[in-house]
Amino acid sequence: MPLDPRDFPVEEHTLQNGLQLRFLPDRTLPIATLYNFFRVGSRNERPGITGISHLFEHMMFNGSKKYGPKEFDRKLEAAGGSSNAYTSTDLTAYYEDFSSDALSLVLDLESDRMASLTIDDSSLAREREVVKEERRFRTDNDIDGMMDEAMGALAFVAHPYHWPVVGWMSDLNRITRQDCERYFRTYYAPNNCVSVLVGDFDPEQAIAEFERVYGAIPAGEPLPEVAVGEPPQKGERRAVIHFPAQAPAILVGFRGPDGRDPDSLVLDLVEAALSYGEGGRLKRALVYGQELCVDAHVYFGWRMDPGLFEVSMKLNPGTDPARAEAALWTELQRLCDEPISAKELQRAKNFVRAGVLRGLTTSNGKAHTLGQMEMMLGSWRALLELPDRYAAITVEDIQRVARRTFAPHKRNVVTLVPGDVPDEGDGDARSAAQSAAQTAAQTAAQTAAQTAAAESAR
Amino acid sequence: MSDVSLPPLLIEQEPSGFTLVAVQKRGLPLFHARLSVPAGASEDPRGKSGLAQFTIELLRRGTQRRDAAGVDDLIEGMGAHLGADVAMDEAALSLTVPAELSTAALDALLEVALEPAFVEEEVSSARRRAVASLQSDLDEPGSVAGRAVVTLGYGPLHPYGHPAQGFRRDVETFQREDVLAFHATRFQERGALLAVVGDLPPAQLLEQSRAALKRAKWPSASVTPREKSGYVQLPQTGLRAVVVHKPDSTQAQLRIVSPGLPKSTPRYFEAVVANTALGGGFTSLLVDAIRVDRGLSYSVSSRLLMNRRAGLAIFSSFTKNETLRELIDVALEKMHGYAQTGPSTDALHKARSYLAGLFPLGLESHEALAEQVSDAVLDGVGLEHLARYRSRILAVTADQARGAAADLSPARDGAQLIVVGDGEVARRALGDLCPVEVRQLEEFG
Repeated sequence: MPLDPRDFPVEEHTLQNGLQLRFLPDRTLPIATLYNFFRVGSRNERPGITGISHLFEHMMFNGSKKYGPKEFDRKLEAAGGSSNAYTSTDLTAYYEDFSSDALSLVLDLESDRMASLTIDDSSLAREREVVKEERRFRTDNDIDGMMDEAMGALAFVAHPYHWPVVGWMSDLNRITRQDCERYFRTYYAPNNCVSVLVGDFDPEQAIAEFERVYGAIPAGEPLPEVAVGEPPQKGERRAVIHFPAQAPAILVGFRGPDGRDPDSLVLDLVEAALSYGEGGRLKRALVYGQELCVDAHVYFGWRMDPGLFEVSMKLNPGTDPARAEAALWTELQRLCDEPISAKELQRAKNFVRAGVLRGLTTSNGKAHTLGQMEMMLGSWRALLELPDRYAAITVEDIQRVARRTFAPHKRNVVTLVPGDVPDEGDGDARSAAQSAAQTAAQTAAQTAAQTAAAESAR
Repeated sequence: MSDVSLPPLLIEQEPSGFTLVAVQKRGLPLFHARLSVPAGASEDPRGKSGLAQFTIELLRRGTQRRDAAGVDDLIEGMGAHLGADVAMDEAALSLTVPAELSTAALDALLEVALEPAFVEEEVSSARRRAVASLQSDLDEPGSVAGRAVVTLGYGPLHPYGHPAQGFRRDVETFQREDVLAFHATRFQERGALLAVVGDLPPAQLLEQSRAALKRAKWPSASVTPREKSGYVQLPQTGLRAVVVHKPDSTQAQLRIVSPGLPKSTPRYFEAVVANTALGGGFTSLLVDAIRVDRGLSYSVSSRLLMNRRAGLAIFSSFTKNETLRELIDVALEKMHGYAQTGPSTDALHKARSYLAGLFPLGLESHEALAEQVSDAVLDGVGLEHLARYRSRILAVTADQARGAAADLSPARDGAQLIVVGDGEVARRALGDLCPVEVRQLEEFG
């Protein structure tokens, strides 16, 4: 069943400076959400300043010409609003949820920091420490985070997806105020932004307000080219992490298509078939059937450039990682060899459709979804077409894309082996488990990748 | 800001003690159903912590009409996830489906909740999974800290004094008979509530729910209510610290916890305002001092955990090992000062506006609406709590906020300081601040 366009009376405007506006009024409750999406993420970085996109996101809350340090959130919260932001490999998004009578203030706050952000050494020094704490929290002391970081370093050799969004710790220490100022001038121009406003507001008044506060901000230069490109993967790659954990864990990654490739939608359904709900193939086989894992799930997100289809397995304590891996390969091979049933395909489609609808039940969800469509697929209208595009996917599509994606030579495998963190100079002190895992490493590419991943995990 | 108009809704109390709630939400063609039963973690029998959670997770592993795969097909064929949540005071099963599947969804929800098979093999398998999962959770410092907070904050003899997932030593003892007895005595019509949210008028939604309930079979075993006196929190004096040793951590999780208030307290609104000014949002006193001014942590908050009969006041943050003591000192100093003065005029105004302005966000989705209305009924605070939330928040006075700040500081006399991190590092950091007890990670798993 398609989405009804009458439920999405989106109004589109573009200011003369290139700022794109998308409005979706909904007067059910006296609240609204504003998202500003900027086309900049860690893919726009270079070695030496990795993590600057995310660090810069933090700096956006530290004061501008009209609203000094601490004023952004104080003014907003005092008017009944809250703000947050996130940075991904491909974009940076800022949002405010607020009582609808605070719209003028929200636009004034947002436009002021786009026009005249203040970047000083002392606020950069403090924010750098905050971000380093975030890195320690999400990566250095978190198993999923450290494995994810190792996966990026393993699967991407040349592409900026090689480094983590939060950046290497050494780079976080190195980024200067001048780097931040350059970044701001380059990427935070109105013509690199899409603003999405959803909720209780009058569109005519809103457009006038946008014109008033954003209209004088000059457009920026065209964006520098991103160093995309990645050599083909010619063999399986492996990395091993040693960490004092309760149980082993495995993260497997296969390079997939970019978000605009129609095969991305097919992989969304593969993800649903493998890991959504209790009856997903991986959960049924690995968690309930063979009792190898506490949890097994898939993550496939659309990216600007060809990204990763990842399978994460938290193994039961004492489980041999090789056994869990073998069981995973069997399940993936089954997708390649045997057409899935029409019933299972329909189940996957139902899950994905329900997920799309659930994402549209709040103002924030609607604004985020519309903005994501603009950024990843080029227009919010792609949302309306999604249900039909998913519905048209066939059993044959699933098998074709599974075969293309899950070839053994395209595997990237990160294994977490419970045990002490090796000392940096202690090359000989290997545990039996480490030796066993490394024995599985067979190709030259694999050896090179191991080195890279081990560095990223420290 | 004026009060928010609630959507059209009806509440019906059955003679059996069962409550039906129907809420109309126009727009997207979705239907949500949420069944709450008085089977929360506080009902876990002594020595059987985690039984409520274990039971609700087993419900999806087969009914008297179909096996586990059949249940998965039934629920997930509709594109739905079966929510199975255990809070301290009740357990809830829920699902959201396209509106055209509402009747099938209600039947499925009631079948799973009320007609479980509890096959022996599934019980054994679930026990192994639960034990493995508890061990695995020890790898997450924040999760360990959360488990330690309820265990130490309420104390081990308190009905709320254990994590909903239970302890491994208890879960390992679970047998089919435990689950059968728990289900028979706790999944009772009396005290249960079914909330449905859809795009039909409430009367039609009620009618649809009644029809489904006519087909449902409730367990009928008798149940002895827990005595309310069991929920008393014993007063403590002085500051003491428990360090949960997690080797090789480069960052320490910090919690500071004191007794709080139950959800039904008449001081609810002043307590929430005072806590928000202390540690809510991005501009609170604690966020300002710890994150913005000193860059000590990425995350800082204070919160009030309000259960039906008791609560906790909790400070949460984390920092690198080298600055643990600085974090503790700043947090204690700021909280002690706040308990003396309460919020400034600006901070009080900001906290009230922040809470009132954002309140409608909690009524947006089908799931949030069902949960908010269910909680208002079950907690005994009534729909007035939602309908007049904004005006009551905005009416909190400086005196009231000052009183709540003094009475509800997480760091007041008798507070417990909990650190999850490297034991030796934490012990050194705490120095002579207070008595320190180092405990092993496994005690909290």
